[in-house]
Amino acid sequence: MIESLFDNNIRWAATRARVDPEYFRRLASQQSPEYLWVGCSDSRVPANEIVGLDPGELFVHRNVANLAPPQDANFLSVLQFALEVLKVRHVIVCGHYGCGGVRAALSGERHGLIDHWLHPVRAMCCRHAEALETIVDFDARVNDVCERNVLAQVANLAGNPFVQDAWRRGQPLAIHGWIYAIEDGLLRDLETTVDGPRSAQRLLYGPLAKDPAPVVSPRRRRAPGRTR
Amino acid sequence: MTTLLIHDEIEDIPRELMAEPLDWFFAEHFRHRQFCRLMNEVAVAHVFDGERITRLVEFLRNDLPLHIIDEEQDLFPLLRRRVLPEDEVEQALGMLSAEHKADALAAQQVRDCLEDCLAKQAAPGMDPASRKVLQGFATQELRHLALENAVILPIARLRLSPQDLESMSRRLAARRGIVLESTHR
Repeated sequence: MIESLFDNNIRWAATRARVDPEYFRRLASQQSPEYLWVGCSDSRVPANEIVGLDPGELFVHRNVANLAPPQDANFLSVLQFALEVLKVRHVIVCGHYGCGGVRAALSGERHGLIDHWLHPVRAMCCRHAEALETIVDFDARVNDVCERNVLAQVANLAGNPFVQDAWRRGQPLAIHGWIYAIEDGLLRDLETTVDGPRSAQRLLYGPLAKDPAPVVSPRRRRAPGRTR
Repeated sequence: MTTLLIHDEIEDIPRELMAEPLDWFFAEHFRHRQFCRLMNEVAVAHVFDGERITRLVEFLRNDLPLHIIDEEQDLFPLLRRRVLPEDEVEQALGMLSAEHKADALAAQQVRDCLEDCLAKQAAPGMDPASRKVLQGFATQELRHLALENAVILPIARLRLSPQDLESMSRRLAARRGIVLESTHR
C-alpha cells in the first residue's frame, strides 16, 4: 500500500530526530558531499546504504547500466554541479554483477527505447566480441561486460571536459571504478582509479612516452577499448 | 557421541584460514568431499538416521550456496581479470559456472528428497529413485571439485597478488558476518 510509505517516513524521521535532534536542521542548512556516485537504477543497489553514508554525504546519479554518456544533458548537469559547485573529491562509477541493462544489451533482442540508451554497451560488446565469445557461460559473460562497462564509463569521465577542467584548476579529484554483487552486498574495486591528467591519458591512450617500461605482472589491467 | 560423530563427518573450517583465502577454498573443497562421502553413505543406508540427513540438508541450505557465491561472484571474476591469455582458463571457468547453475537446481531436488525422507522418517536407501538422486549429485560434485582443485586453485595461486588475496579474504569473512580489518590502514 502506498500509504505505508508515509508511515515508514514518519518512523524514519522520528528515529533520526530522537537519536540526533539537530540532524535535519543541520542537513537543511548545507550539502557538502565529498562523493559523486554514478550507479545503476536497479532498486537493489541503494547507493547510500552500500557505503554506509548518511543523507548529505553522497551526491547520486543513477541510470540504467550506470552510464556516463558524454551527450546526456541530465548526467552532464549532475557532473558539472558536483564538480564546480559541490567540489566533490571522488567520482565513483559503480556497476553491479547481473545488471539487467547489460544483459539486455548482450541478448541481441529488441526491448524498445532502452535499446537506444544501451547502444554504447552494445558497441562495447562488439569491440570486445572476440574476448567475450570465449566466455561460454552467459551469466559469466554478462558479469564480465558489467566490469568492462564500468571501466568504459571511468574512461568516459576521464576524458570529460568538466573533469579535465577540474584537474586544470588544480582541484583534487579521483575517479574510481567499482562493482557490486547483489548476492553478498559487497563492493569490489576494479582498480582503475584515475586521479589526474596523466593517469587519465594513460587510461585513454595507453602508457605515456615518459613512463618507465612496463613490467610483466600478473596484475594486468584491461584498457577500455582493447580486447584481452 | 552421535553428535560428535556427525560434527566430525563434515568438519568446521578454522576461522584463521579466512586470512589465506586459497587455503580456505581448498579446505572448503575438502569439506565438500566429506559432504559427498556422507551423502553416498546416507544414499545406501537402509536405516533412517535423522541427524545425518539433517546435516546434509543444512549443508545444502547454507554451505553450498555460500560457496557458489564465493566462487561465482568473487574468485572467478577476479581470476578472469588476472589470468594471462596463455593460461587458457576460460573453458574451465565456463564449464564450472554452468555446473554451479546446474548444481543449484540439483541441490534443490536433493533437498526435497532428503526433507521428504525426514518427514516420513524413511531411509533414502530404501527408495531406488532417492538413492539415484543422492548418488548422482555426489558423483557430479566430486568431479567438479577435482577440476577446481586441479585447474582453478593452482592458477589462482600463481596469478592473484597479496592484495587480491587480502581483499578476497575480507569479503569471504564479510559473507559470513565477520569483519576482518585491512592490514593497509
